[in-house]
Amino acid sequence: MVNRILSTVVAMAVGLLVLADFFVNSNLVDTLGLYLIRTASVVAAFALVFGMINVLTVHLGKIYSRDKGWGYSMVLLGALFFTLGIGILTGGPASPQVQGLFETVLFPLEATLFSLLAFFTVTAAYRAFRVKSFETGLFVAAGIIVLLGQVPVAAMLWDQLPVIKDWMLDVPALAGARGILLGVALGTLATGLRVLLGIDRPYVD
Amino acid sequence: MNETQLALLLFIVVFLPIFYISGRRVQEGNFPDLRPIPAFDALRGVMARAIETGRRVHVGLGIGGISGYMTADSLAGLSVLEYLANQSAATGVPPLVTMADPTLLIAAQDVMRRPYRDDWGEAANAMRHARWIAPEPAAYAAGVLGMLGSEAVDANVLIGAFGDEYLLLGEAANRKKISSVGGASDPNVLPFVFASADYALMGEDMYAAGAYLAQKPWHIGSLLAQDLMRWVIVATIIVLVVIKSLI
Repeated sequence: MVNRILSTVVAMAVGLLVLADFFVNSNLVDTLGLYLIRTASVVAAFALVFGMINVLTVHLGKIYSRDKGWGYSMVLLGALFFTLGIGILTGGPASPQVQGLFETVLFPLEATLFSLLAFFTVTAAYRAFRVKSFETGLFVAAGIIVLLGQVPVAAMLWDQLPVIKDWMLDVPALAGARGILLGVALGTLATGLRVLLGIDRPYVD
Repeated sequence: MNETQLALLLFIVVFLPIFYISGRRVQEGNFPDLRPIPAFDALRGVMARAIETGRRVHVGLGIGGISGYMTADSLAGLSVLEYLANQSAATGVPPLVTMADPTLLIAAQDVMRRPYRDDWGEAANAMRHARWIAPEPAAYAAGVLGMLGSEAVDANVLIGAFGDEYLLLGEAANRKKISSVGGASDPNVLPFVFASADYALMGEDMYAAGAYLAQKPWHIGSLLAQDLMRWVIVATIIVLVVIKSLI
């Protein structure tokens, strides 16, 4: 019970202080706010250690019990220790060796994976473009107009098509996006206030 | 105080009393009718179906953490996880949970532990099913893709902060005929959610998980307050447009 009350009081006090830091121009509040934000960064760094322990536990378990794909787990753990070793021996993540490892291995792999997005977009569009309701009908109509409007040959078919495309992107699409953002802002504010006022306490039982 | 600070302060000052009154009214038993959201209806059934099929439910919490600008999205994902974890405590099959930010790993493990408060063995077992994949979005996507390929998964629930990697995960589930529920708040990601998820939570719908799934009075109250604030904002925009047009 004491633990519960103490956690809530600390969380509310810290939250209100950081919020006050946004509104008030005072050296004391600024210093305290900055200190708390830096403390959160330290906690996040500790979380990374927990994350690594989690990865080790999951993959060592897979290797030990010879689960499906245990060979990949060995490769993953090998890559983890290799990168960690290079980092420790060469002076940290900013060293040219670690940077080289990222630039020659990680970044090309990431680019390759994200290049698949083009194909995934096509298959997703194929599924989404099946007209099942009024909404999907609008989705398809908007998609066709915008797609045609992007192609130079469309202007030769009808010169108003690029104009309609621009209008669709600048007016209904932008208005919709702003409406969504407004709702998200309200939802975020409500979530934040519930945590700040101690109504939601994700940090206690 | 600059314009942004003043606007936000005004927003909070107006929102707080509306929020308090709405929350109190719901606490007193004045439950409003909430519009049906099919994604929440689907979420109510995913654990039961997973038990019937003998498969798992994957809950992807995305790339956000609990100490950044995506915190609200991550908390929305945790609300859904809380509901599924409570259900799984009765069935004994915890969901498989993945995330890209290690701070969210700790929060997710805590949510999965809670239903087994008195049983340390079961709590430790449930926590084992929360997996931190990798901090980079692409690496996170690659890890989850591999997991969806190797584990027997019946439902794919992707709710939290996502970027373009959402489409990779959503489409992978579709190819394996895994039913999916998706939710995101970024307007750039919403088309991917709409196109690839069987049931989509668009934008702010995602934050309503506590109200719809757990029927928490203050969550329902905050929904009412959000609706009222929306009308206030719409009215303010119209009035300002009229004033600006007349001057």
